[in-house]
Amino acid sequence: MPPKSETQPAAAATVRPDHVYDSIDPIFHLLRILPFSFLRPPRLRLKLPNLTLPSAMTVYSLILLTYFMVVSGIVYDVIVEPPGIGSTQDRFTGSVRPVVFLPGRVNGQYIIEGLSSGFMFVLGGFGIVLLDLALDKNRAKSVKVSFASAGVASIVISYVMSMLFIRIKIPGYLG
Amino acid sequence: MEKSATDLLTSPGVSSLFKSLKLKTKQQELLIRVTILFLVYVLAFITRLFSVLRYESMIHEFDPYFNYRVTQFLTEKGFYEFWNWFDSESWYPLGRIIGGTLYPGLMVTAALIYWTIRFLRFSVHIREVCVLTAPFFASNTTLVAYFFGKELWDTGAGLVAAVLIAICPGYISRSVAGSYDNEGVAIFALLLTFYLFVKAVNTGSLAWALASAFGYFYMVSAWGGYVFIINLIPLYVMVLLIVGRYSMRLYVAYNCTYILGMLLAMQIRFVGFQHVQSGEHMAAMGVFFLMQVFYFLDWVKHSLNDPKLFHTFLRITVTCAVGLGAIALGVGTASGYISPWTGRFYSLLDPTYAKDHIPIIASVSEHQPTAWSSFMFDFHILLLLFPAGLYFCFKRLSDATIFIVMYGLTSMYFAGVMVRLILVATPAVCLISAIAVSATIKNLTQLVRAKSKASHSASGKGTTSSKASSKGSLDQSLPFQRNGAIALLLGAFYLLSRYAIHCTWVTSEAYSSPSIVLAARGAHGNRVIFDDYREAYFWLRQNTPPDAKVMSWWDYGYQITAMGNRTVIVDNNTWNNTHIATVGRAMSSYEDEAYEIMRSLDVDYVLVVFGGVTGYSSDDINKFLWMVRIGGGVFPVIKEPDYLVNGEYRVDKGAAPKMLNCLMYKLSYYRFGELTTEYGKPPGYDRARGVEIGNKDIKLEYLEEAFTTSNWIVRIYKVKPPNNRW
Repeated sequence: MPPKSETQPAAAATVRPDHVYDSIDPIFHLLRILPFSFLRPPRLRLKLPNLTLPSAMTVYSLILLTYFMVVSGIVYDVIVEPPGIGSTQDRFTGSVRPVVFLPGRVNGQYIIEGLSSGFMFVLGGFGIVLLDLALDKNRAKSVKVSFASAGVASIVISYVMSMLFIRIKIPGYLG
Repeated sequence: MEKSATDLLTSPGVSSLFKSLKLKTKQQELLIRVTILFLVYVLAFITRLFSVLRYESMIHEFDPYFNYRVTQFLTEKGFYEFWNWFDSESWYPLGRIIGGTLYPGLMVTAALIYWTIRFLRFSVHIREVCVLTAPFFASNTTLVAYFFGKELWDTGAGLVAAVLIAICPGYISRSVAGSYDNEGVAIFALLLTFYLFVKAVNTGSLAWALASAFGYFYMVSAWGGYVFIINLIPLYVMVLLIVGRYSMRLYVAYNCTYILGMLLAMQIRFVGFQHVQSGEHMAAMGVFFLMQVFYFLDWVKHSLNDPKLFHTFLRITVTCAVGLGAIALGVGTASGYISPWTGRFYSLLDPTYAKDHIPIIASVSEHQPTAWSSFMFDFHILLLLFPAGLYFCFKRLSDATIFIVMYGLTSMYFAGVMVRLILVATPAVCLISAIAVSATIKNLTQLVRAKSKASHSASGKGTTSSKASSKGSLDQSLPFQRNGAIALLLGAFYLLSRYAIHCTWVTSEAYSSPSIVLAARGAHGNRVIFDDYREAYFWLRQNTPPDAKVMSWWDYGYQITAMGNRTVIVDNNTWNNTHIATVGRAMSSYEDEAYEIMRSLDVDYVLVVFGGVTGYSSDDINKFLWMVRIGGGVFPVIKEPDYLVNGEYRVDKGAAPKMLNCLMYKLSYYRFGELTTEYGKPPGYDRARGVEIGNKDIKLEYLEEAFTTSNWIVRIYKVKPPNNRW
C-alpha cells in the first residue's frame, strides 16, 4: 500500500503547488476543499510502519508452536476442563497418589499428560529437522556432527517415550 | 540367493532378470513403480476386510443402514422415484422428504457400480456392492495420493504417500468394509478435487481447472464436508496473493473452478442456492471478486507508465472495492438473504458454542474434542513426521507446497476440535509425512551412495547433498559417515515397519467392529457373539402389524426402518429437535404422562436398549441424561437436577425418586430384579453400572412386555390401547 504522506504536504499547499492539481483522486480534492481549507493539520513526523512479510523459518517456528498446542489436546482441555493431573486414593493407607494418565478411555486426557505427549511429538519432528540441517554443506564439521547426534538422540527418545506413554495409556496395546 | 520354486526364469538375481528382458533403467523404474502401486492398491483393499472375514458381509453402525435402504430403493425403483421420494416410514407423523434432503453421491455411485456389474452378468446382491464400496474407493484414494505426492514433491514422495494412506488408521476407521457411509467416497472426492486444483494452479491450464470443478461437483454430491473445500481454496488463494504469488495461472484456475464448481453444485437439491445465500460460502465469492480487482489493477499497471499515478489509482480502487464489498455483505446479512453460519460449522470455529447452546450436537461422541491419545492411535509415527515434513515444505516453497501446508494446518486444527474430523486431516498428514520420509531417505541414500569419484551423480532435487562436505572433509570420516547413514536408514525402515504393525493391530482390534453385532471374551477365553440387535429387529419385522409405529431413542431409528421395516418416530437424521425432545420427555416422565404423549404420537411399540445383563455400556440408561437434557431444552417441565443425587447420576437405592419411577427406568429394569446376573452378587445387579438397582419391584400399567432378546440387550414393549369407557 502506498504511504499516506501524500495528503499532508499537499494540504500545506504552499510547498509544492504543481503536485496538488495533478492528482486524479476525487476524495483527495474533496478533503482538500472541505475540512482542510480552513483547518491546518499539525506537522508530524509520522511514518507508516514498513510491513514486511516474516521469513519462512519464522512462520515455521510459529506453526510448530501451534502444532504443539493442538496435538497436546488444548481444545479438549478448554472444553472438557479436566484436572491437571488425576488422583487416586490408596485403599489401605488412605494417602492420595497422583495418576498421570487417564485410564479407561482412548479419547480422554489430563492436561499434563497431553502436554508431555505433545512435547515428545514435536521433539521427534525437530530431530528429523536437525538431521537434515546436519547435511547442510556450509557448516563446520563439528557443528554438523553435533546436529546429527542431537537429531538421532531426539528421534530415539521421542519414539521410545511415545511408545511408553501409549502402552501406559492403553493397557492392551499390541496384543 | 534363494528363489522360490515357482520362479521359472531361474536367473541368479532380479537385475539379470531385467537384463534378460532388455529393460533400460527408466523402464526398470517404471516397472518398480507400477508394481508398488499395484501392491498398495491391493493392500488398501484387503486391510479393510477384517470384519467381513470375522463375522459376515453386513452393513455396520447406524447411518449406513439408511444409505443402504436408500440405495436399495434406487436400484429397485429407478432415478425418478428416487428424486421424488417422500418417506412416511420415519419421523411419524411428519415424514421426511428424502429426495431433497440427502447427498446422493454415495448411493448413485453404488448403484452405478451395481448396474455395471450386473451388465457384465455377475449376479451380485446390492448389499455386497454396498459393503465393498468403501474399500474400493480407499484403493482409488491411494492412487490419487500417489499423483498428488508426485505433483508436490517427486515420485518417491508419491509412492510413500500412497503406502501411508493405504493403512493409516485415521482413514480406515471410516472406510472399512461394511461402513457404507458418505465419508468413504467423500475422502476420495476431496483428495481428487485438491489434486486437480493444485495441478490447475501449477499448469494454468483450463482443462485441469474444468476437471477440478467436476471433482468439486462429485464432492458436493457426496458429503456435507464440501464446505471445507469451498473455504480452504479461497483461503489458499488469499495467502498466495498476500505472499505475492499472484499469476495468470492462479487466476485461470481459481475462476474456472469457482464458477463452474458453484454452478454444478447448485444441481444438488439439498445444496440448492447455498453458494450464493449462505454465510459459509461467502468467502469464496469475496475472493472471486478480489481476484478480478487484482487482474484489473495488473492490467492498469501494465497500461499506465506512471508509477505515482498508479499508486493513487491503486488506493482509490482498493478503498472502493473493500467498501463496496463490506456494504454488500452488510446489506445481505441484515436483510436475511445471506444466512449466518449454521451451528454445526460454527461450533468448529468456536468449540464452546455447542456445549452451551446445542446439546444435541454436543451429545454425539464423535463430536467430542480430541485428546492426544486419539491422535496417537490414529496417526502413530506420522505425528513425528508431520512437523519435519512442514519444515521441508517451507524449505522449498512453491504454490503446491503452500497448499499442502495450509491444508495440513487447517485440517489438524479441526481434527483437534472434533474427533471425527481426524478423517479429513489424514490425507494431508500422510502427504506431508511422505515428503519428510522421502526427503530424509533421499539424503541418507545419497550419503550411502556418495563416492569420492569426480563423476558423482547427485541430482539433488532441493535436498542438500553431502558431496561438497565429503570432499571438503577428511577422507577418514567418509566410511564412518557411510556406516552412520546405513544405520540411520535401517532405523528409518524399522520405524516404518512399526507403523505398519501398529496400523494393522489398530484396524484389527478397534476399527473392525460392526457395532450391530457385539463380541466379548467368555469365561474360558472363547469369543461370545451377541447378535441381539438383529434378533430384535427381525422379531419386529415378523411379529408386529405392518403399520406399527415404534418409539425408541433416535440412535436406532435407521436400523429399525431398514431391518425391522417399521415406522419410527425419530431417527438419526435429527433434523427436528422438538420431535426428539418429545420422545426424550416421554422417556423421562412418569408412566402415565408418558402414556399421554405416546397416545398422541400413535406409538404401538417402545424399544429400549439395556446393557445390565451383559455389561454393555452404550445402552439407553447411560444415554438417559442426554434424553433429559434434550427434552428439558424444549420442555422446561423436565429438569435435570430431578434425576441426580448431589450432582451424581445413580440407579441404585440412593437414586432420585423421579429417576426410579420414570419410563426409561421401568422399561429397562422390568423383571430384572428377579435375575441373577453374576455369581456372588444379589439379584438385580446391573453389570454395566456395577450396582444393585434400587427399584426391583416394577409394575407396568400402560405397557406390556412384548419381547426381550436372549441377552436382554434389546427390550420391546407394546403400548396397551386405552381402557374401555363405560
